[in-house]
Amino acid sequence: MLLTGLGAAFFYLFAFVAIASAVMVISARNPVHSVLYLILTFFNAAALFILTGAEFLGMILLVVYIGAVAVLFLFVVMMLDVDFASMKRGALDYAPIGAMVGIVLASELLIVLGAQFIGVGQPGSVASPTPDPLTRTNTAALGDIIYTDYIFFFQIAGMVLLVAMIGAIVLTLRPTRPGVKRQNMGKQVARKVEDSIDVVDVETGKGL
Amino acid sequence: MTVVELTQSLNIAAPELALAVGSMVLLMIGVFAPKDSANSTVTGLAVALLIGVLGWMVFFDEQGTAFGGAFVQDAFAYFFKILTLVGSIVALVMSVGFAREEKFDRFEFPILIILATLGMMLMISATSLLSLYMALELQSLALYVIAAINRDSARSTEAGLKYFVLGALSSGMMLYGISLVYGFTGHVGFTEIAAALTGQERSVGLLFGLAFLLTGLAFKISAVPFHMWTPDVYEGAPTPVTAFFAAAPKMAAMAMLVRVVTDAFGTVTGDWQQIIIFISIASMALGAVAAIGQNNIKRLMAYSSIGHMGYALVGLAAGTVAGVQGVLVYMAIYLAMTLGTFAFILAMRRKDEGNVESINDLAGYAQNNPLQATVLTILMFSLAGIPPLAGFWGKWYVFLAAVEAGLYPLAIIGVVASVVGAFYYLRIIKIMWFDEPESKFVSAAGELRLVMGLSGIFVVGFIVFGGPIAAYAENAAKALF
Amino acid sequence: MWSMLKQARGFDLMEITISHYLVVSALLLVIGIFGIFLNKKNVIVILMSVELILLAVNLNFVAFSAHLQDMVGQVFALFVLTVAAAEAAIGLAILVVFYRNRGSIAVEDVNMMKG
Repeated sequence: MLLTGLGAAFFYLFAFVAIASAVMVISARNPVHSVLYLILTFFNAAALFILTGAEFLGMILLVVYIGAVAVLFLFVVMMLDVDFASMKRGALDYAPIGAMVGIVLASELLIVLGAQFIGVGQPGSVASPTPDPLTRTNTAALGDIIYTDYIFFFQIAGMVLLVAMIGAIVLTLRPTRPGVKRQNMGKQVARKVEDSIDVVDVETGKGL
Repeated sequence: MTVVELTQSLNIAAPELALAVGSMVLLMIGVFAPKDSANSTVTGLAVALLIGVLGWMVFFDEQGTAFGGAFVQDAFAYFFKILTLVGSIVALVMSVGFAREEKFDRFEFPILIILATLGMMLMISATSLLSLYMALELQSLALYVIAAINRDSARSTEAGLKYFVLGALSSGMMLYGISLVYGFTGHVGFTEIAAALTGQERSVGLLFGLAFLLTGLAFKISAVPFHMWTPDVYEGAPTPVTAFFAAAPKMAAMAMLVRVVTDAFGTVTGDWQQIIIFISIASMALGAVAAIGQNNIKRLMAYSSIGHMGYALVGLAAGTVAGVQGVLVYMAIYLAMTLGTFAFILAMRRKDEGNVESINDLAGYAQNNPLQATVLTILMFSLAGIPPLAGFWGKWYVFLAAVEAGLYPLAIIGVVASVVGAFYYLRIIKIMWFDEPESKFVSAAGELRLVMGLSGIFVVGFIVFGGPIAAYAENAAKALF
Repeated sequence: MWSMLKQARGFDLMEITISHYLVVSALLLVIGIFGIFLNKKNVIVILMSVELILLAVNLNFVAFSAHLQDMVGQVFALFVLTVAAAEAAIGLAILVVFYRNRGSIAVEDVNMMKG
């Protein structure tokens, strides 16, 4: 048993909102709304994380996921000027596949509900037992192991991020095209009043 | 983890460490080298680095487990790592001329190949679900970018996008499977999982986890029913990239699949054997039938590789030492044949049209260049599995293992599929020798001719030096049992 | 009805167990997979569906971690988050170059090659 009483009530609140907004992510007509619903889903999932005691992961989900990834999605949606209305037409043609997915859903619910009698693993025989949260906070407990026992994975994660960086640059960075106007800070600062303003005495009725 | 343990671990993982550090050094060199020579400098150094690591792996035999049991360097890992490195080196060497012609000669390309190779080597050595996932993603992310590397070509970016979407979906499914396996056994390490599974009533949740996990792995070796991406990605990606995709990642993914099912789930053979048998039969059948109508030689090779993965899985389905030995021998032979064939595809180049990819362009190859046409004919016969060439021996090993394990129907279906599948290889031979000649190809670059020659020698000579390779493979297979 | 269930399975609505978490994550997974089929034309929403699938996985890991009293689940979830961020960056980069070449992001237009 993980939660009782008030915790259980909050579980239902967050779980319900998370699932409802996940449904909206895939069914919203406008992708900007989809991204916003995605943020709501993440937010509620973060709350669910915190309810189980995984506080650090909850915060990371808020900061990294909502702060960076979801906003990245938002940038791309805005950047690509796509006619989304026409794209939505005929989306329901694929609904029959929904039937298939429904079967998957039903069988999954079956197994996970069955989990309570067939015993999900036996606590006590694990690789890195969780320390008592009263003596060691969740963040500290994670820090204790990821830089020591899990250093190997930490380093691979570094390589994965390096690949992501190289990949994003190699695909999207272009050499400057001729004719693109860019800001030149030095030039702006070095500009003087004499260079930019001409005071002209215009005679009446003659024009320049 | 103490300092002593860490030093030992780094010592065992020295080849991987060299690749990781080397890739970063090359990145620096590429950034600061003069623009016009950056690509050739970095490519040359990258090939040197890969050959250096290969030499290291051949001459120094540093075995053991590292990083608290998340990484293992055993005979099995050595066998597959050598194959992977050979695949990467040959694909990189073959890319040089093509990249110059097609104007995608960017120094990031060899670096991404090295990083993908690093991911593959870590996949081969992974002995925990966490290292398996991280290594797989390192490889996959690099491959997504490599598929789209020719970013001004609509076909290349389309291939990248398709590969990415389906790859990300399969990673997600696999990860869901991993999470269920973790939850129902309480562990991520292979040995701990195997220990938790012995003598315990297996739950439905665990079986679901295993099924999801195998789904993701089947995608990575492009076995039916998760093969949809293969023909499109093979056709759309630049040809040297396709050669790379057909060679190195297949080795790593197959090694990972074999290790997961024999190591972590070795005690529940019955549960995964059925799935593997189904995937194997479906892949062999599709590989034999779907390629018949293809006119683009890269698409044809895609279906051919799907079929070959099916044959290799026959050995895994047997689940014995002989079966795994068969998989190893089969993959080695597949690597040699594939790289040789792609050297020919890269050499299909006309002065005015550039690279051509249609099978009919091979018409009259025999009149125009009899020597190369003969080598290609030998390769096609080998792919079709005609004795006494290498392709036949690969099938011999896996089918024999299946028969020994009592899987007669599987072996019979395999033989039938290889007979049907021989048709389209023979069709290429017919076009080469008997159709009206088209205009000549420009003469192939030296490195391509070298690859063709080596691959031809391997295929013909396997009957002579196949014995030691098989013995080495048997030794490697025993490391898993 | 509920009391019957309660007796049969020891199922109590106000006692949240691992099963409740698994149900939520299974639903998120199914919604994610369904989203990919439903939005076959729109790659951006497909990428968001993939994010939902990964979120379902993370929820599983965190719940199992709490149930087993094992930190490995949380460590795994942490690395999944890292990789997912990298994956999103690469996916969006590929999407941007695809858009530059084709002027569209509809997957159904992804048909230069016959599948």
